[in-house]
Amino acid sequence: MSFFENLMMALSSLKAHKMRSILTMLGIIIGVGAVIIVVAIGQGGEAMLKTQITGSGNTMEMFYQPSDEEMRANPNIFLEAPFKQEDIRALEQIPEVKRVVASSTKMSAAKFKEKSVDISSTGINKAYLQINELNVAKGRSFSAADFLGGSRVGLISNKLQEELFKGKNAVGKIILVANQPIEIIGVLEKPTGLLAFGSMEIYLPFQTWKIIYGSSDYTQVTLQAASAEQLQTAGKKAANLLNKMHNTEKSYQVINMEEIAQGIGQVTRIMTLIIGSIAGISLFVGGIGVMNIMLVSVTERTREIGIRMALGATRGQVLTQFLIESMTLTLIGGMIGILLGWGVSEVVSLFAGWPSLISWEVVVGGVLFSMVIGVVFGILPANKAAKLDPIESLRYE
Amino acid sequence: MIQLESITRSFALGKEQIRVLNDISLTIAEGEFVAIMGPSGSGKSTLMNIIGCLDKPSSGEYYLGGENVSGYSENELARVRNQSIGFVFQQFHLLPRLTALKNVELPMIYAGVSKAERQERAEEALTKMGLRDRMDHLPNALSGGQKQRVAIARAIVNKPKLILADEPTGALDTKTSISIMEQFQELNSEGVTIVVVTHEPEVAEYANRTIMVRDGRLQSASAADGR
Repeated sequence: MSFFENLMMALSSLKAHKMRSILTMLGIIIGVGAVIIVVAIGQGGEAMLKTQITGSGNTMEMFYQPSDEEMRANPNIFLEAPFKQEDIRALEQIPEVKRVVASSTKMSAAKFKEKSVDISSTGINKAYLQINELNVAKGRSFSAADFLGGSRVGLISNKLQEELFKGKNAVGKIILVANQPIEIIGVLEKPTGLLAFGSMEIYLPFQTWKIIYGSSDYTQVTLQAASAEQLQTAGKKAANLLNKMHNTEKSYQVINMEEIAQGIGQVTRIMTLIIGSIAGISLFVGGIGVMNIMLVSVTERTREIGIRMALGATRGQVLTQFLIESMTLTLIGGMIGILLGWGVSEVVSLFAGWPSLISWEVVVGGVLFSMVIGVVFGILPANKAAKLDPIESLRYE
Repeated sequence: MIQLESITRSFALGKEQIRVLNDISLTIAEGEFVAIMGPSGSGKSTLMNIIGCLDKPSSGEYYLGGENVSGYSENELARVRNQSIGFVFQQFHLLPRLTALKNVELPMIYAGVSKAERQERAEEALTKMGLRDRMDHLPNALSGGQKQRVAIARAIVNKPKLILADEPTGALDTKTSISIMEQFQELNSEGVTIVVVTHEPEVAEYANRTIMVRDGRLQSASAADGR
């Protein structure tokens, strides 16, 4: 008897007891679905954390951690911006460095008509636009001329538009930032995601920012390497260069992204493993449900088994029939579970704002695993069916 | 066709061994129509199970169509049941969730016959039993006589040499019983060996030989009485 015929037979016998089959499948559906959701969210969360820390596009932040001596020599060192204009120029000369993103941020007051709010004002260089996604929802972004000439223009966050303009279009309006007039040329998109609140910000070309605040130093420097492999080398070279220029030992540093990323990967893997094994237990319970129902089914169909044996079915064929039946049950349950898990993790990722990672490995693994459950938990009932005595079974009422 | 030599069959009941069949030797020639009679508890069911290869004798030899099947493994016996024997039961034993046609196809599934051929042969067998317009009905939509005809169609569909009927008219009224027995007679006239187990003398009358079983022994094997 072919596999296909067994399958058809299994389907028709599952259809004969619809309610029972669906309820039995539910255990498998929930189990497989839970495993898929846990794995997908775990992988998605890991990917999101990694991109948040390592930055997108092979970037790496530099920071300044003054030594005790430097702090004793200059108690106000934390108030001063650690990166000078010539530092940036020197960093740009390192061959592994593709771009140097530099910016400076200060808190100041923004005023429109009578209304005044505290905002953070960030001066950015041209490279900043290429790395950080400042997506303009209304108006335009900075042009090359804005950076060169220090035009008195700025991009504001959606939140600031809400506060200062009560949500009305702010493009073209002039506001006072640190008592200097700035024309708003664009409003940024609202940040997406569950945890993004949005802050009141304005972005200015660095030349403009320099004039307003009278400072040409940068508070933040981010390096972009040409490739991920060159990132570590670029970071080390940059830190050495700045320490040499400022005559410091190791105050200028880069974060070792690889270590952090590995650490995060380990943590999320352990979490996924723990929650995954709990989901696995529910799958196991579902498997026991399948075994239970298959045992009931074998008892109910004792006469059928006797008839089949009298008509020439071997014990092996009876065994196969019941194994395929339980496998079909768990396979259908598994496939529904995958769809369910997929749907739920898509919804979760939509709200949480991180990618849902349903890989084909997980789907194939889910299908195979649910088939294995069907076989493992089907062996006992199928064996019971195959061991029946045909004479006794024919007499069974 | 059937040759039993000193067949015994005993079952263990606690520590005791109960001998249900005791030294039975019997020959049934090809094309015969034999009735096996006996009171309940006489061992006639056990004898039928052994002839039908559903059970194995404790000792003795059983030749079916020249093959010594007494030493066969379970899988070989399953093949013999499938290929050489057609069963007809008192309770019809049709699978309730399959249509008449699918029920008749069953033995061919285990024989490995292709789907198209299976359907063709099942239709042929059902037509022969006069059930051409009942093929797609489920068993519970058929009358007792019709169910038994489906069962006969299922028994003959693999073209066995032997048909084994266990009280085939036990659940039927007199009129239907007569038509079923006539059906067996017709099959017999086509050369199929038929063995009917019954306790009704009216049924036994259709056979050309009656074998009496009593207390696990053959009592007398009356010669062919020419119907």
